[in-house]
Amino acid sequence: MIRVEGLKKNFGSLEVLKGIDYEIHPGEKIVVVGPSGSGKSTFLRCLNLLETPTEGSIWFDNVLITDKRIKIDPVRRHMGMVFQHFNLFNNLTILKNLTLAPVKLKLQTKQEAEENAMRLLERVGLADKAHAYPSQLSGGQKQRIAIVRSLAMNPKVMLFDEPTSALDPELVGEVLDVMKGLAEEGMTMVVVTHEMGFAREVGTRVLFMDEGRILEEKPPREFFENPGHPRLKEFLSKVL
Amino acid sequence: MILDVSGNMEGAVMQWFDTVKTDFISSFITGDRWRMFLQGLGVTLRVTFISALLGLALGILLAFMKISKKSNGKRTVFSFIAGIYIDVIRGTPVVVQLMILYFAVLASVNNKMLVGSIAFGMNSGAYVAEIIRSGIQSIDRGQAEAGRSLGLSSRRTMQYIIIPQAFKNVLPTLGNEFIVLMKETAVLGYVGLMDLMKTGSYVVSKTYRAFMPLIGTAVIYFVVIKIFSLLLARLERRLQKNDSR
Repeated sequence: MIRVEGLKKNFGSLEVLKGIDYEIHPGEKIVVVGPSGSGKSTFLRCLNLLETPTEGSIWFDNVLITDKRIKIDPVRRHMGMVFQHFNLFNNLTILKNLTLAPVKLKLQTKQEAEENAMRLLERVGLADKAHAYPSQLSGGQKQRIAIVRSLAMNPKVMLFDEPTSALDPELVGEVLDVMKGLAEEGMTMVVVTHEMGFAREVGTRVLFMDEGRILEEKPPREFFENPGHPRLKEFLSKVL
Repeated sequence: MILDVSGNMEGAVMQWFDTVKTDFISSFITGDRWRMFLQGLGVTLRVTFISALLGLALGILLAFMKISKKSNGKRTVFSFIAGIYIDVIRGTPVVVQLMILYFAVLASVNNKMLVGSIAFGMNSGAYVAEIIRSGIQSIDRGQAEAGRSLGLSSRRTMQYIIIPQAFKNVLPTLGNEFIVLMKETAVLGYVGLMDLMKTGSYVVSKTYRAFMPLIGTAVIYFVVIKIFSLLLARLERRLQKNDSR
């Protein structure tokens, strides 16, 4: 579904990604872990071209999206993204947050989009907040809304960029529950996170990144019980 | 306005009131001079409104020119032009710009009010551009990223997400710019326009008494500006109601 070849990204003279090759298949839940500054968020943000790769190729559904002639906006409709800081539209109600893109892009009529939005809000238990503004919600509520805002576009893949890192510890569970539900439904997911429990429980494969490279890539059981790379062993001994 | 301090208190006060009364009458009543002040205020208000609208339109255009980038992240030629324009306007006094426009560039245009409005519109546009640019750039990058990640184009993201938030943030500063603009128009007399300030000094030249006409001018400016700032504060409160961040 997503194929990455020779992906490199520099910020000025700083090499953040030093050559990533990877392939993500439909239905997989890829969990990316690693220390801060390892490039894992940059890797994720390259997948929908929020960061423009310096070098390398990315295919999505067999379309080379790093090709300069490709219009990226239609491609992004199929790739939902959830951010660490939620990034709900502060000037719009929750309902409008969910319906803005589908309606303005003429994918759904206003009525269809609103019905769909209410279904999604009910699913995460926040239907009563439809007419509230983001500033009136807790972090956990905001992140659950951010997830369903992406789902309102019926994406083929969901990208999560440290979705629970900015949350109070008490509120992490409610967001992870929504993500687990999504995984059970068969959504293809790429999740950058520090939640090792989530990686172990939900991931089909776990990646360990450090200094701009993928150092290890295994199913979760093996990843945690039989880490190969010394850097991963060191990392796990600190976080587990 | 010279007080006779050697006399008794009561006499001095009476004398003072008398002078003020005579002054007031000669400044505002004789020859229906209050009408002149009213007409002067009319000129000031008209130039202010027209140039505020011009300045807003020009400022929005310049702001978008200035933040425009090529796909490789470099500034466009529009961005350079806007940058130079803003630099020049902000780096020279408005009264100089006004006189250049009136006596040189648009010397063939006979309509003083029009030329004055254009001059102040061009001047205000540069300041408004910077206000709007900073407003747009003050919106967290995550807002734009969220819009783009949903497949909205950069134009739509601007239109539905960034601009509404930026506008709300810059409204107080824009209101302030409007008030500054109104006060700056007091140099319109340099090109012979009978605005409020010029009317004040005209009356001084007729009565040979400076205090009353100038205080009167100041009071009129103050009252009008106070009314505008109260209206602005109300608008701001209404906009702020539904999203406190």
